Amino acid sequence: MTEVGGPIARWRALVDGLAARTILIVLVGIGAIHLVSLWTYRHALSQQAELASDVRLADQLLGIKRAVMREPQSARESVAHDLSGGPLEAHWSRTEHATPGGPGAGHWDGLAQRLKQAAPELGDDGLIIGANRRAPDDPHLALVSMRLPDDTWLNVSIVTVTPRSVEGHGTLLSTTLMAIGAVLVSMLMVRWLTRPLSTFAEAAKTFSGSGAPVAVPEDGPRELRDLASAFNEMQRRIARLVEDRTQALAAVSHDLKTPITRLRFRAEDITDAALRSAITADLSEMERMLDQTLAYLRGERTDERMQPVDLVAILATVCADISDDGGATTLTGAGSAVISGRRLSLKRAFGNLIENAVKYGYRADVSVTEVGGTVVVAVADAGPGIRPEDRERALAPFVRLEPSRNQDTGGFGLGLTIAYAIVASHAGTLTLADGVDGGLLVTVCLPRDGGAGA
Amino acid sequence: MADVSPNAPVAPMATILVVDDDGEILGLVARFLRANAFEVLTARNGTEMAACLKGAAVDLIVLDLMLPGASGLDLCRELRRNSATPVVMLTAKGDEIDRIIGLEVGADDYLAKPFNPRELLARISAVLRRTQAGRVHPATGARRMLHFSGWQLDTLKRELTDPRGVVVDLSTGEYDLLMAFLDAPQRVLSREFLLDATRIRAPDAFDRSIDVQISRLRRKIEVEQEMIKTIRGAGYIFTPDVTRGQA
Repeated sequence: MTEVGGPIARWRALVDGLAARTILIVLVGIGAIHLVSLWTYRHALSQQAELASDVRLADQLLGIKRAVMREPQSARESVAHDLSGGPLEAHWSRTEHATPGGPGAGHWDGLAQRLKQAAPELGDDGLIIGANRRAPDDPHLALVSMRLPDDTWLNVSIVTVTPRSVEGHGTLLSTTLMAIGAVLVSMLMVRWLTRPLSTFAEAAKTFSGSGAPVAVPEDGPRELRDLASAFNEMQRRIARLVEDRTQALAAVSHDLKTPITRLRFRAEDITDAALRSAITADLSEMERMLDQTLAYLRGERTDERMQPVDLVAILATVCADISDDGGATTLTGAGSAVISGRRLSLKRAFGNLIENAVKYGYRADVSVTEVGGTVVVAVADAGPGIRPEDRERALAPFVRLEPSRNQDTGGFGLGLTIAYAIVASHAGTLTLADGVDGGLLVTVCLPRDGGAGA
Repeated sequence: MADVSPNAPVAPMATILVVDDDGEILGLVARFLRANAFEVLTARNGTEMAACLKGAAVDLIVLDLMLPGASGLDLCRELRRNSATPVVMLTAKGDEIDRIIGLEVGADDYLAKPFNPRELLARISAVLRRTQAGRVHPATGARRMLHFSGWQLDTLKRELTDPRGVVVDLSTGEYDLLMAFLDAPQRVLSREFLLDATRIRAPDAFDRSIDVQISRLRRKIEVEQEMIKTIRGAGYIFTPDVTRGQA
């Protein structure tokens, strides 16, 4: 499933972490709540504003009505005119100008209701609110006709004022601040919540690396406690399983030593020298395989202590022994290279590397150089090398890159693995590369202090 | 020089007591040692071993580490309280030899199973030669160290240390050569003698030139001064003084 570049994939990548997803949820939640509350708030505000303007309008209308009522009929028009202003324009007449109904009937009826509520006196004699004949479709223009006690009419045309917008930057700012605060708090809380998960990941990595169970603290929320407890139990079971199998393999390897010893003595009785040496050679190979298996199973657990050792002397011994058995080896470079290390382990590691070179690469050219605090040992051969894609696999246990040749070359895929583990236990590195003239080049870098001062 | 052969036991018909709980191994080892001119007694456990030691004079004990009841380590420690009889320990735990040596139970040499019969023979001969020469004392640890020109050879761990304290690795052949020299310092040793000393373990192996072995050993130990002198037509002589005991 590689949705490279797809919008979903890009979206996924953006909110990959638990933290990002939680923040997204928090943001969406806050946004929704804010939208709803903002709408409610503004609705209530506008209602209140409308109510306030209705009351004011009612007061004004009442004021005009009372003032005009007190005057004689001849002066009424001029008083009405004097009282006009702003959105109101009042005229006195003998008939009503407003006509009920029309397209805005519902609106006007509502207004009439509210005005009567605000000032009941307005409706005493008769109140008609209708559309202005001059603009019958405009809901903002209304004509209010109030009947006076002497059956004349006071007509007030009004521009219905929409309540002033309550929108302000203040609201936006406070909402944003609140959102930022919420995001910050949620980030902290998510981190707090997910910290145990990071611990799990770390523990799992350590466990798969070293094989030693790393107990995860069983605290935090219930789900995490359950997870931690299950995780710890799983680790213990895996470790037990591995330990049991290791024990079984070690026991078998170990117990084979006695029959091999017996066979060695029995072989001494064979008078046919060729047969005897063939059997002895087979026994030696079996012994080597057991030895390698036990060395691999033992891993880091060695009784040998770190001490100053001359790496060149070790390489000289290994090369000499292999040369004596007919292998082609050369050793060049420094005449001495002292590092802090375990002699027998290092001898085994370089023995494996140089034997492999001779076995699969026809020869081993070993060179030793010192660079700063590091001793670099290069083992080059003249074989087919190892393809780059196979190199990592070549370091894994029980991997043989050439199964067809295994029969006559012996070994069963532990040589490189053991060498790699031993070099690593000396805080060194082992890399596989192509040689200058083809073949495989194994480069081992070992710190002089064995990693103690690194 | 002709009377000195590194292969033959120093005392003729030396008596070896082999202690192992594996009857098959016991029989095979006994037969092999008898075939190589040793008097052999066998025991399967500590009780039988004690009985053997009471009834006969034993020159060397080959003791298995894993025994029912008292372990080889316990028996060896017990033996050392009142006896200097040399002990070669057999152990299936080759990997733990370092730790066992650290326990200082007083064994003279260790051999990890599965071992080559000739290796056992070589170790027995070497230990007998050293102890019967009367130069060494049975005190724990005292007879395992050899010193020359600031160098130290731990014959139990088979580990050579230079004057700086750096461990210098030796091949089996180089170790055997050095031991032959250290056993007879300042004496001319013939090439035949030295060849015998280095090929006891593998009689069928190709006869590699003793000169090659000597030059390899020289490259490792003659960093500051010459130690092995070539005597034209006669052989080699190891010039430094050799002392035994703890540093």
